[in-house]
Amino acid sequence: MKRRSQLAVLIAALLPASVLANSIEGTVLNNQGKVVANATVEVEGSDVKVATDENGKFVIVNLKDGLKELHVVAPGYAHLHRDITVSGDENQSITFNLKRSPIEVIDIEATPIHMSAMESASPVSVLSGEQLRRQQAATLGDSLEKLPGVNTNFHGKVASTPIIRGLSGPRVLITQNGLDVSDVSRVGPDHSVASEASTAQQIEVLRGPATLFYGSGAIGGVVNVVDNRVPTDSTTRGEWNLEHNSVDNQKVASFNATTGTDSFAFYADAFWREADDYEIPVAAELDHDDHEEHSGDYTVENSNEESDGFTVGASYLMDQGFIGIAIEQFNRQYGIPGHTHGGEEEEHSEEESVYADLEQTKVQLLSEYNLDNEWLNKINLRVGHTDYKHAEIENSLVGTTFKNETNEFRVDLMHNPFSEWNGGLSFHYKQSDVEAQGEEAFTPPSQTQSFAVALMEERHFGDFLVQLGGRVERVTIDADNALLPNIDAHAHDEEEADEHDHDHEESTAITRVFDVEHEFTPVSLSAGLVWDFTPSYNLGLSVSRSERAPSASELLSFGAHIGTGTYEVGALFDVDKDGHFGLSEQAIDLETANNIDLTFRKTQGDIGFIFNAFYNQVDNYYYQIDTGLYAESGHSHGDEDGHDHGDEHDHSSELPVYLFKTDDVILHGFEAQVAWQLTDEFKVDLFSDYVRARLKDGGDLPRTPPLRFGTEFSYQTEKLSAHLHVTRYQEQDRTAPEETATDGYTMLDASVSYDLSVLNQDVSLYLRGTNLTDTEARVHSSFLKNIAPRPGRSFALGIRGYF
Amino acid sequence: MTKLFKLKLIALAISSTLITACGDAETNIVEKNPIEVPDDHDHGDGDDHDHGDEYTIDSLGRLVVLANDSNTASFFDLDDNELLDTFTLTNDSNTLSSSPDFRYAVIASRAQDYLGFIDGGLWREDHGEHLHDYKQGPAASSFELTSGSRPTHLVKHDGKLAIFYDGDAESGTVASVEVLTDNDITSATAALPGITYDINMHGVAEPRGEHLLSTIRRDDAESTSVAKILPDQVGVYHFHDGEYELEQTLELTCPDLHGAAQNHDYVIFGCSDGVLLAHQHDDEYEAEKIANIAAVGDLRIGTIYGHENSESFIGVASGHGGGPAVIVSIDPENAEMEELEWQLADGASAISYSFSANGEHFLVLDSLGFLNVLEAHAHDDHTHWELAGQVDITEEDVTTMPEGMKFSMTVAQNGQFAYVADPIAQHVVQVHLEDLEIEGELELTFPPAAITWLGIAEEEEEHDHEH
Repeated sequence: MKRRSQLAVLIAALLPASVLANSIEGTVLNNQGKVVANATVEVEGSDVKVATDENGKFVIVNLKDGLKELHVVAPGYAHLHRDITVSGDENQSITFNLKRSPIEVIDIEATPIHMSAMESASPVSVLSGEQLRRQQAATLGDSLEKLPGVNTNFHGKVASTPIIRGLSGPRVLITQNGLDVSDVSRVGPDHSVASEASTAQQIEVLRGPATLFYGSGAIGGVVNVVDNRVPTDSTTRGEWNLEHNSVDNQKVASFNATTGTDSFAFYADAFWREADDYEIPVAAELDHDDHEEHSGDYTVENSNEESDGFTVGASYLMDQGFIGIAIEQFNRQYGIPGHTHGGEEEEHSEEESVYADLEQTKVQLLSEYNLDNEWLNKINLRVGHTDYKHAEIENSLVGTTFKNETNEFRVDLMHNPFSEWNGGLSFHYKQSDVEAQGEEAFTPPSQTQSFAVALMEERHFGDFLVQLGGRVERVTIDADNALLPNIDAHAHDEEEADEHDHDHEESTAITRVFDVEHEFTPVSLSAGLVWDFTPSYNLGLSVSRSERAPSASELLSFGAHIGTGTYEVGALFDVDKDGHFGLSEQAIDLETANNIDLTFRKTQGDIGFIFNAFYNQVDNYYYQIDTGLYAESGHSHGDEDGHDHGDEHDHSSELPVYLFKTDDVILHGFEAQVAWQLTDEFKVDLFSDYVRARLKDGGDLPRTPPLRFGTEFSYQTEKLSAHLHVTRYQEQDRTAPEETATDGYTMLDASVSYDLSVLNQDVSLYLRGTNLTDTEARVHSSFLKNIAPRPGRSFALGIRGYF
Repeated sequence: MTKLFKLKLIALAISSTLITACGDAETNIVEKNPIEVPDDHDHGDGDDHDHGDEYTIDSLGRLVVLANDSNTASFFDLDDNELLDTFTLTNDSNTLSSSPDFRYAVIASRAQDYLGFIDGGLWREDHGEHLHDYKQGPAASSFELTSGSRPTHLVKHDGKLAIFYDGDAESGTVASVEVLTDNDITSATAALPGITYDINMHGVAEPRGEHLLSTIRRDDAESTSVAKILPDQVGVYHFHDGEYELEQTLELTCPDLHGAAQNHDYVIFGCSDGVLLAHQHDDEYEAEKIANIAAVGDLRIGTIYGHENSESFIGVASGHGGGPAVIVSIDPENAEMEELEWQLADGASAISYSFSANGEHFLVLDSLGFLNVLEAHAHDDHTHWELAGQVDITEEDVTTMPEGMKFSMTVAQNGQFAYVADPIAQHVVQVHLEDLEIEGELELTFPPAAITWLGIAEEEEEHDHEH
């Protein structure tokens, strides 16, 4: 894109002025009247985009008559909108003055309409550039956890996934370049996300309902990982990185590169990472009694990881757009801490350690085409095919294999402005086959298909920006072999006395089999308003009603899920007084979220801030309740016969039975972000977030992140950059039944990097320290909080180069 | 334009409300036949080993029946003769067999270069401290083999299936072999180990542990075969590092090689001048030839049957294209060939041959509707096969057999039953091989073309090996 726009500038400069009919030329300046080079000026609702030269000048040619909305973007500055009317044979000259914004404003690519942290009605965050590189971790959850409103479910560092405003799992959609990442991370917290941050360009987070753009599965938010795998331009550039981390002896290497000719662009990236079990400041188990003197370091056993992957892509560049395809291979092997079965961990942990072997092949075809048509001005096409498989391996035997094969097709038709409305229609088809086989196959094979039509529009009315959208979806879930085994679920409180005479009268039990077909029609509507009520400030309001079809695992599960240490039973089933499971009498219904979001921002100046408050009422919220019953995991480990089981009956292979039920739930909270640019070099950031997740009829939801606040001091010169980051996590004592409170803690991180030029390359050396006080930090939102605290003090040393 | 757009917005708003009104959720549940599962609960009381049986399933197994009048395969539960499921097959002309561990039905279509698999739903896993049986509904498998040309001879041995693809001289495709296990089918293994030749041939491969004995076709000038498409040599291929490597070529030739079988010690190949024996000594095979006896005459032994536990093999000598057959027994240990005392009655032709599950009986189903059950008797180190009895498996007039149809037979691997399908009566009878009686009947609603048994084979250890 850049190359083409530079070309446009060049051509424009060569043409005599008289030919520059219907053109706009201008200069972009900053507050001090200095020119801003490399600012992007784009015409909203079209693909016209040019960059300013070193004198801050730009020219846009060949415009049609009419009102044009120009959008000026430059790093470090607030975005600027200006309406210009173009009429025949007129040559306009304009000067734009950009104001500084201490909060970086980056447009997101996840949505067909224009959105950014400062300008849209609903809240978004973007992690990109140096900030992304500083915060990237082995897992997506840990990479994003410093963003306001986003927490990690910290699954022993190996499989952490993001929690957005207290919601995760099937309510947070993870996408890669706008297409579903299609792994099984939404099904279990011990399943890793099949996406990599070290080769990504930016990661976008849509907080709150985003079903409008993505449908069911985005009711709590969306994380979109963007990379340049299908290159949109052929400017040769690239990035490489080598890093070593002390706490887990982690070694990372990654690169990405783009190059090409005038009409073809090529892209490649690859990464490799290897890490040992990570060290922790205290014993892993929370209630570890320390009689025996522990010598040496504590580690979280089985938290090692090894992954690698590569992507190659190519695209054909046209004057009107591009079309390209990319293929990715992603492999990851990681230990699953806590995935031991039953007690006796001390003795057996080594031989029983379970690890997951994940493999994914992903093909994406992306295209953007700008039309010169009366109705449409742009078509965005995204097509994806993903083949995912992961095997959980125990004693070198495959225990369970999860598979997900997904095909997705999405086309956005963006229309020409209709009485100043910009927007478009989106058609979206997705089909996935999910299958689990083996001991932990707690969900039967199922096929989910969805088809959706969505309309998104926005328009400026003076100081108001109005954003409207609606989406209708048809979701079908078919499972032709949903199983209901006759499990002998029993309570434990009636003590051991009668437990022993389990009469085995019938040596065979009956498993009922159902052919289940669900059909859902979720509808989402949303309206947003941004009011620039006074210069530099705006107020945003977003109201939405979103519906979500429950996922196959929430409906159809029946079996032991070792990852969560529970026996899961889907909402299709219910239990009677005697502990017998049958079909539920309750109708299966859509989950509906009614969400109000209020945003107050200061968009420019030396101080910038964003305050968000939200209130989200979710009716028919699917969640798991503890039935108080226990069932056999069916997962015996062939305890060696040698063992003398002193006490005969141990519950080691029994799991508590959790049943999916629905209830009305209210989530409310806030996010706050303040940035103060003290001098050109010094900047202070403050942030805080909080969510309260409760049942309407009283009671709290489990694993809700605690109140959090923190600050970052940054010092930045041309060569040196240094950051000091302090985050305080408060105690969480609003707990669900069966859940325990978690102590608060303070994390102190610091990093320093120095840029130098070696062999014509920009190279930066960096040193980063995390958890500098070596504090014990247990993550309330983690399933493993009692057995896997955060890593102890760690120093990472790395080198990064750009060309 | 503006007006039009506003109208559209209103229309959208209205339609949205309508959709919201019916924006709904619908669930349809159909209960299917339940699955019987063994009680999985061991409550840790004492020793797991006492409960070995809790994990195993006692079932007669399942029967797959190909229909003659449509390209479907029907799966029956042999415990209650109930139809479990019917699958429509991809191709028209199919042969039916079972996977090496009898979990899957193997549907082969030679002309279409196609092999497909259907999960019979009954299988056993070895969980270390116990054997764990599973019982589910039959299900089509997405696994299929389509890369080889003309899959012809399918040979099973000890959990492995070797598929010999003949290739095709006309289209210039070469012969190849693929070896697979039930596990490969379950996990849809993409790249199966095997052999690729550089010429086509009508050959055969015998999988044997980490060895694969497979035929070799030499240059036509060197080949001793009369029909050059038939190979005349046997190679010993050894599996390591994920592939089969030719380690030995047997020094004796076998002109016009066709048919092969193996038992515990020997692999035997049929040749126009006799049979070729390959005697295994660890990684080496010693070749020996037994010349045809006078009774074979102008015929040649083109089909051989063997059983792991049977010391002698059965060979069928016939002319090209059928005709009268002479049945011989082959004793590799003593390098002897002997004509069976019992031969087919006049006017009868053999339709199907098979060893019984334990190898103690040899079955010959003939065109007149008799199942001839032969039994091995040992006399001074020699094995003689004698007729134990005949079972008349049909009450129908066999001359009314519709054109292109015939009886078919399969042997259950978990007991003493054989099953014989009768297209005239449209049923399958269950024959007890010790009692020589028909003990059950499975009614069909269509004429059967072929049948095969699926299920959990009886463990060999349970047999009495003291001979």
